[in-house]
Parts: sequence; structure tokens; C-alpha cells
Amino acid sequence: MIDDLCDRPCEEEIAVSMFYCDFRDQHDQTATNILGAILKQLVAKGQVLEHVQKAFQKAKQEVGGRGLRLPDMVQMLKQAVATLPRVFICIDALDECLPRHLLEILVSLDDILDESPGARIFLTGRPQVAIEIRRYFTTGVIVPISPKTHDVKRYLEKKLEMDTEHYAMSDGLRADILRTILGKIPETCLGAYMSPLHTMF
Amino acid sequence: MDNTTYRHSVSIGTGNVDCNNVTNSHNKIINVNNAIPDDNPEIMQWLSPLDPRGRHQDVRTGRLDGVGNWFLETDQFREWRSKEGGADKAVLFCYGNPGVGKTYLR
Repeated sequence: MIDDLCDRPCEEEIAVSMFYCDFRDQHDQTATNILGAILKQLVAKGQVLEHVQKAFQKAKQEVGGRGLRLPDMVQMLKQAVATLPRVFICIDALDECLPRHLLEILVSLDDILDESPGARIFLTGRPQVAIEIRRYFTTGVIVPISPKTHDVKRYLEKKLEMDTEHYAMSDGLRADILRTILGKIPETCLGAYMSPLHTMF
Repeated sequence: MDNTTYRHSVSIGTGNVDCNNVTNSHNKIINVNNAIPDDNPEIMQWLSPLDPRGRHQDVRTGRLDGVGNWFLETDQFREWRSKEGGADKAVLFCYGNPGVGKTYLR
């Protein structure tokens, strides 16, 4: 998706930034650090840097150098997004954030959109996160993702083709593997979370 | 144009690939992560100790071309990406249970 944004023919200038949340790193993945990682990617060579640079110099002069607070970060990010022609922010796996970090991220993104309604935000997460998304972005578009049979088939075929122990494989076994796994897809799609959400949105 | 070759020329998070090589007919990508200026490591560290480049590269490597392409053709994605949409089209949230392929959408 991110590569598609970058590759697609278009005449306008765009800026793409992304972040992948990871539960193994959730204590370090605070709202400030995540938004900071987003901002880092938006800081182009000598272009948006001015206000960031000023803030950095100011923080450096204070005793011991001052760490960033969330409001400072949001302010800097707001300014960067407003300056750039078109910004896409993508954050994957929001459910892997600690709940308090998640709320801070959503509030901050909402705040940024208030000033720059042209910015585009792409988020993913497990079904339970949809409730929080709806709370902050009432008009946000919510799309359920389920595995497509042809995607799974393609993936499996590729994996089987690249199997290093190919001598242990036969046509019959290959067909069995494909049939068994593809036969299970409908169950995978209809997880316990799905039904209530479909009625909710 | 050879798409595969082209894609590599604008891929993000691939170390030293220079995104300014993008041809005129395509998006000029300002600021993808590898465009982070090297002369400001102190500022970059101050902004955030986190660096998503490695993870993005893992995703790109693990993704199989063609898988998840259907999503890019959906109205929801096209409208979100298009220039026309206002604030009400600003947020697109994709949800699904673990392992359905949210990260690998293409």
C-alpha cells in the first residue's frame, strides 16, 4: 500500500510516512515517540526543518537538554503537515500499542486533521480498535479485511514452490495441502469479532 | 517501462536508494524515510529513538507481489487516496483478526 502510494503515476508532490506498532516494543512506542518517528520521515532535506531545528536548538539550551513532550511534538508535526503539499500518514497494528498510547495517538491525529484536512491517514488494527477509531473520526471509513482465496492460493503455491525439501513433496501431497488450507478460509474470515462490528458500522 | 525496475527505484526504506530519481511522470516523493538528512542525526534522535525503516523493509521483502492488490482497487482506497476528498475522507481504517493480511495489503 505504501509502495503503491509512492509508485502511482501522479503529478502532485506527496510525502509518505509510516509506522508499524509492535507489542514487544510497546513501552518505548509512546505517542510522542511514534509521532516523532512519523515527523522524522516528513523532515525533508532543508525544507521543513526550520521550525524543527529551532525547537531543537531551544531544547538543547535548557539545562541537561530537554526531552520532547507530546504537545510540543503535535505542534511540530502539525506545522510540518501544513507546510508539505500532501501528507500520507500510515500506522499499522494500533492494537499493539498500550491503550493510553493509542488514545493519545488518535487525539493527536484528530488535532492535526483539524488544521490540515487534506492530510490522509491510514490505520490498521484488530476489530476492537474500530470502536476507538469511530469515537475520534466519526466520518472515517472503516473497512474489514479478510483473506481472499486467490491471494492465499497464490501465496501457498509460491511457498510450496520455494520449499527446500522438495524431494519430500509429491503432486498428491501438494494438492492435499492446497485443498485443506483453502477449505479453511471461510472459518478464518468469520472470527468472533466480526459479526457485532458489521452491525455496528 | 519495466515496472519491477521502476518500483525498486522509488522504494522506501531501502537504505541508500535515492528517491529523487523518480521520473517526471510519477509522484515526486519528498521525504520518504531514506530521505532523512544524514547531517542531522542528533535532531533525528531527539525527535524519536524509533526507526521504522527496518520493519518496513521486512514487510516489503516478505510480501508477495500481487497478493492484496484487490484492496488498491476498492472505492474506499481510491477515494481516500484521491485529491478530491475533504476532511470526511481523511481517515481509512482497515481491521481484521490477526493474520488476515492487514500489514501486507497491496
